[in-house]
Amino acid sequence: MAASSSIVSVAATASSVPVLPSSCDFSNLREIKKQLLLIAGLTRERGLLHSSKWSAELAFSLPALPLSELQPPPPITEEDAQDMDAYTLAKAYFDVKEYDRAAHFLHGCNSKKAYFLYMYSRYLSGEKKKDDETVDSLGPLEKGQVKNEALRELRVELSKKHQARELDGFGLYLYGVVLRKLDLVKEAIDVFVEATHVLPLHWGAWLELCNLITDKEMLKFLSLPDTWMKEFFLAHIYTELQLIEEALQKYQNLIDVGFSKSSYIVSQIAVAYHNIRDIDKALSIFNELRKQDPYRIENMDTFSNLLYVRSMKSELSYLAHNLCEIDKYRVETCCVIGNYYSLRSQHEKAALYFQRALKLNPRYLGAWTLMGHEYMEMKNTSAAIQAYRHAIEVNKRDYRAWYGLGQTYEILKMPFYCLYYYRRAHQLRPNDSRMLVALGECYEKLNQLVEAKKCYWRAYAVGDVEKMALVKLAKLHEQLTESEQAAQCYIKYIQDIYSCGEIVEHLEESTAFRYLAQYYFKCKLWDEASACAQKCCAFNDVQDPD
Amino acid sequence: MPVSWDTPWASGGLGEVVRFPGQESGQGAHRISWTQFVGAMASVHESLYFNPMMTNGVVHANVFGIKDWVTPYKIAVLVLLNEMGRTGEGAVSLMERRRLNQLLLPLLQGPDITLSKLYKLIEESCPQLANSVQIRIKLMAEGELKDMEQFFDDLSDSFSGTEPEVHKTSVVGLFLRHMILAYSKLSFSQVFKLYTALQQYFQNGEKKTVEDADMELASREEGERKMEKEELDVSIREEEVSCSGPLSQKQAEFFLSQQASLLKNDETKALTPASLQKELNNLLKFNPDFAEAHYLSYLNNLRVQDVFSSTHSLLHYFDRLILTGAESKSNGEEGYGRSLRYAALNLAALHCRFGHYQQAELALQEAIRIAQESNDHVCLQHCLSWLYVLGQKRSDSYVLLEHSVKKAVHFGLPYLASLGIQSLVQQRAFAGKTANKLMDALKDSDLLHWKHSLSELIDISIAQKTAIWRLYGRSTMALQQAQMLLSMNSLESVNAGVQQNNTESFAVALCHLAELHAEQGCFAAASEVLKHLKERFPPNSQHAQLWMLCDQKIQFDRAMNDGKYHLADSLVTGITALNSIEGVYRKAVVLQAQNQMSEAHKLLQKLLIHCQRTRHTEMVISVLLSVAELYWRSSSPTIALPVLLQALALSKEYRLQHLASETVLNLAFAQLILGIPEQALSLLHMAIEPILADGAVLDKGRAMFLVAKCQVASAASCEPLKKAEALEAAIENLNEAKNYFAKVDCKEQIRDVVYFQARLYHTLGKTQERNRCAMLFRQLHQDLPFHGVPLINLL
Repeated sequence: MAASSSIVSVAATASSVPVLPSSCDFSNLREIKKQLLLIAGLTRERGLLHSSKWSAELAFSLPALPLSELQPPPPITEEDAQDMDAYTLAKAYFDVKEYDRAAHFLHGCNSKKAYFLYMYSRYLSGEKKKDDETVDSLGPLEKGQVKNEALRELRVELSKKHQARELDGFGLYLYGVVLRKLDLVKEAIDVFVEATHVLPLHWGAWLELCNLITDKEMLKFLSLPDTWMKEFFLAHIYTELQLIEEALQKYQNLIDVGFSKSSYIVSQIAVAYHNIRDIDKALSIFNELRKQDPYRIENMDTFSNLLYVRSMKSELSYLAHNLCEIDKYRVETCCVIGNYYSLRSQHEKAALYFQRALKLNPRYLGAWTLMGHEYMEMKNTSAAIQAYRHAIEVNKRDYRAWYGLGQTYEILKMPFYCLYYYRRAHQLRPNDSRMLVALGECYEKLNQLVEAKKCYWRAYAVGDVEKMALVKLAKLHEQLTESEQAAQCYIKYIQDIYSCGEIVEHLEESTAFRYLAQYYFKCKLWDEASACAQKCCAFNDVQDPD
Repeated sequence: MPVSWDTPWASGGLGEVVRFPGQESGQGAHRISWTQFVGAMASVHESLYFNPMMTNGVVHANVFGIKDWVTPYKIAVLVLLNEMGRTGEGAVSLMERRRLNQLLLPLLQGPDITLSKLYKLIEESCPQLANSVQIRIKLMAEGELKDMEQFFDDLSDSFSGTEPEVHKTSVVGLFLRHMILAYSKLSFSQVFKLYTALQQYFQNGEKKTVEDADMELASREEGERKMEKEELDVSIREEEVSCSGPLSQKQAEFFLSQQASLLKNDETKALTPASLQKELNNLLKFNPDFAEAHYLSYLNNLRVQDVFSSTHSLLHYFDRLILTGAESKSNGEEGYGRSLRYAALNLAALHCRFGHYQQAELALQEAIRIAQESNDHVCLQHCLSWLYVLGQKRSDSYVLLEHSVKKAVHFGLPYLASLGIQSLVQQRAFAGKTANKLMDALKDSDLLHWKHSLSELIDISIAQKTAIWRLYGRSTMALQQAQMLLSMNSLESVNAGVQQNNTESFAVALCHLAELHAEQGCFAAASEVLKHLKERFPPNSQHAQLWMLCDQKIQFDRAMNDGKYHLADSLVTGITALNSIEGVYRKAVVLQAQNQMSEAHKLLQKLLIHCQRTRHTEMVISVLLSVAELYWRSSSPTIALPVLLQALALSKEYRLQHLASETVLNLAFAQLILGIPEQALSLLHMAIEPILADGAVLDKGRAMFLVAKCQVASAASCEPLKKAEALEAAIENLNEAKNYFAKVDCKEQIRDVVYFQARLYHTLGKTQERNRCAMLFRQLHQDLPFHGVPLINLL
């Protein structure tokens, strides 16, 4: 109880002294639920809709509280009472997106809540105007110059308050956002960290921090508050930084603690499995998620990617129709429909839907890459290159776009040229065998067999997805008449396939057996040779009397 | 002993010649990409903003096809034009009008400047006009929106009438029409925005003047607010203040082409790498589709030898270009394929520049394949010349080159053809063809250059002539050619104003000049030239390595002359860093001078094998000479003889006169030691003439010294009267030799000469002179360390 009252004091009186709402452990789920409900209310009052949604979702996943345990609304202070009318009016305006009007009526309010709403509506008004301006700027070169004019003034006012230590957790959050928009990344990170210390329950601040941290090293040097929210943050950022193992571990812990019903966590786990290409697991989790939360649109683009990879036409079609009914003007919906058309080989339509997605959100990275793939399918290489380049511009770390560029140039028969792009992709995903195999193929085309061998071997070593690296390696050895190594590779390949237990027909299996038969024959190991030859007979394509 | 010291002089010449293919590669890369660049610039107009993604996408839906748009600054310029066109009372005088006309072009092309700067510029040419422009803008900015609208309505009047003030197709006319078109395309909100921007622009200008004039006037409160704002400006974005703001497309193109040409011709005048990159980043931030900026950034990165960023920029440029090439209707599919070929070719050039020859070859193969598939002979031509550059080490590469020249002439590519001729000449020079043939070829290509006014090739050609003359050991001719190039420069700057004075050819010519002066003992002049080089090519610029090597070599030779071997030894590392073969050779020379014979021998043998493999004839001869010296220093002159004969044969075959006379000197000395001074003397007579005509001062001194020795030795068996005569003559020669040695500060040699003279005087019985010489010897001998080598045994 003491802990919960301390939050109230943080939120309501907003003393700048950081008070920890709870410790790191999850033993008291009721306490956590209370805190979540409280913060959902607080964020809702301030118009921070996404944070409110997240907290509410998480709170919903925990068991309901009995009446006696329910928290009374935080006490109203003198200041709040003074600003009550202005706040109520402004909040109404704010909700109907009349930001300037809201700001006008909130001018001069003293309470923390009203002040935050005042600043926040000014910020949003600037952002909205910026978006409108981009459409009719004075010239294309001015395009990048259109900016939120309000940012500077906001920064000055907020930095004064910050120095005077008058900002509460929400104020700090807004200050951080303003700094980030001004590209002052370092300062922004500091402010966000401070915000998490003052008000650890506010998910928005954590999420902003996630977007600013680019590597593991940076993460190590942050001093974060020791609360249960940190676990969510860490799990999230591990997913972002492609540290999937760690992320899955964290999420599993959270589920074990009692968040098993949270759709947020379930979807994050599914995304994580998608990232490590564990398609079956990801698919089953997504299916489960759809059952729990049938009207959910978030992350459905990832789901559709999975369905696409598995060519599950009917499921994808069902998903597309379903989402279209829910809301057809969502980026995710457009993406799902694009994937659906792509699977049906209607690439023009698919490209159209990806373009629509981009219209809805120009910074939606996935659509650029997917559009590149579509153009590739349509053999429009120049448009594909363009699309991939855009994707890279939005996010330099998008390995799929680099890989796509490499593929495009490979199709244009420029194996040397595409090496650069594959290398970039490989740098971003050092343990992804597909890039390594692609690199190996390029080297093979350039007749650089030593490098090619290295690539294939490494691809096999990091765990080959398509199981082709070993065959290619074996063929290379065969070409170089290194029969010993070639035979080794074929043996490994066959072992791999059988141990894997997949019934998928592998074309190269027959070649492997055939080569092995000949090899054993040469080595005068007659038994092995005949065994292999007999295996060979099971395949149609090698039944010649060689 | 000092035989080998000056052999490197000759290889100095070689070093420079070798540069040429490198230079050619540099130039070639520039050229290929340059044509690309220019071509791209032309196609940019229709295609830059026609972005297929963006048509269906988000932004600038209504600005397609507009090259230019209205900014407040442009309005101010329009007002100026309008005022200039006014006739009747207050019209500008003829003088002022001329000055204004001169001012106009930079105003139209340059980036936007602040209002106060603009006023100042106008004021310099015509004060009264500046005033009226100021008033007009003030009226417009402080008036209403309709004032601006009215202004644009009136603008088109200047074209009307039977005798319009502005011709429709003139520069000014086009500008006016662009502006009117751009203005009429603006939407309502854009017009309003423009107007507020104009007001802002005007107020900023006013504020500045007010601040300049009187700070007090601004009310206290306002002042405070302003301060706060300024403080904020500085703190938030210092760089933003320094940047001149967004450029229009034309301005951006102008900026890019200007910087690119500066990078090519006169690097020191271009922006520094860092600031140029900042400008480019700024430009790209405003418009990521402006592909040419990536190309310039590639050139810029090349300048600082940053292989990663330059590859990145190059590929980015071509990714972008492929789009524009494909979409512009004039080129169609053809343009698309073309940029692919050139992309691969440029990549090859890039790798070649960074010395990744294997990668370069792979990329080149790719370019060739694509070019062959699409029958692009011009591109193939470029590939062929690159192939030559890559395959230079091979002996049959001149076949490629001959092909290349023939084809280039056939396809009408004069630049490529004469570059080919120049490389061919160089190759032939190494192969020992006679000078007249080479000069003929160069003359022919020079005709081509003058016809097509390819001034940079003319420069290269002259620099090459300098190098060839040096290679053949004709210092006077080399000197003359180098001077010619330098004076041509001054001539050109008067005539055409073409700035092309910091190219590699100038660096090469200046380096030769420095070395030639140093050879003649004019060290002050040489260091003056080097100082000039240092100023013109700062240490981090592209061609700085040339003079660095030259500088080190001169220092090395001086140290060796002075007998400061430790100093020379410390210079060796520097030389090795710039040119490894040269470095190894010099190391061997130092070792030899320090009497570490076996180490020196080992090094020399290794070097000899290496140079014979790479057909580095000049170095081979130098090494052979050093080896011979080693032999006779270790008192086995008989073994030295065949080595020397081999060297002589080689240098005669390749017509390297300087090295030939050097070899003859050695040969004569060997004969002297073997006790056949008459033979030596007759041999010397053969060599003395070219040495005195073209040789370095040190060589002259050594030749005279040797002559004297031979004279003395051969006179030994003569009758007394004749002997005395011969000795007198020898003393004369010794005096001459002493003078030469004094010029280059060779104390050891002087000591030897003085000793010898003293002995001779003694024989002749001239006691007074003998004592004088002996005194001198004693002084010198005390200063110098004694190396334990018998004096007479030194050449």
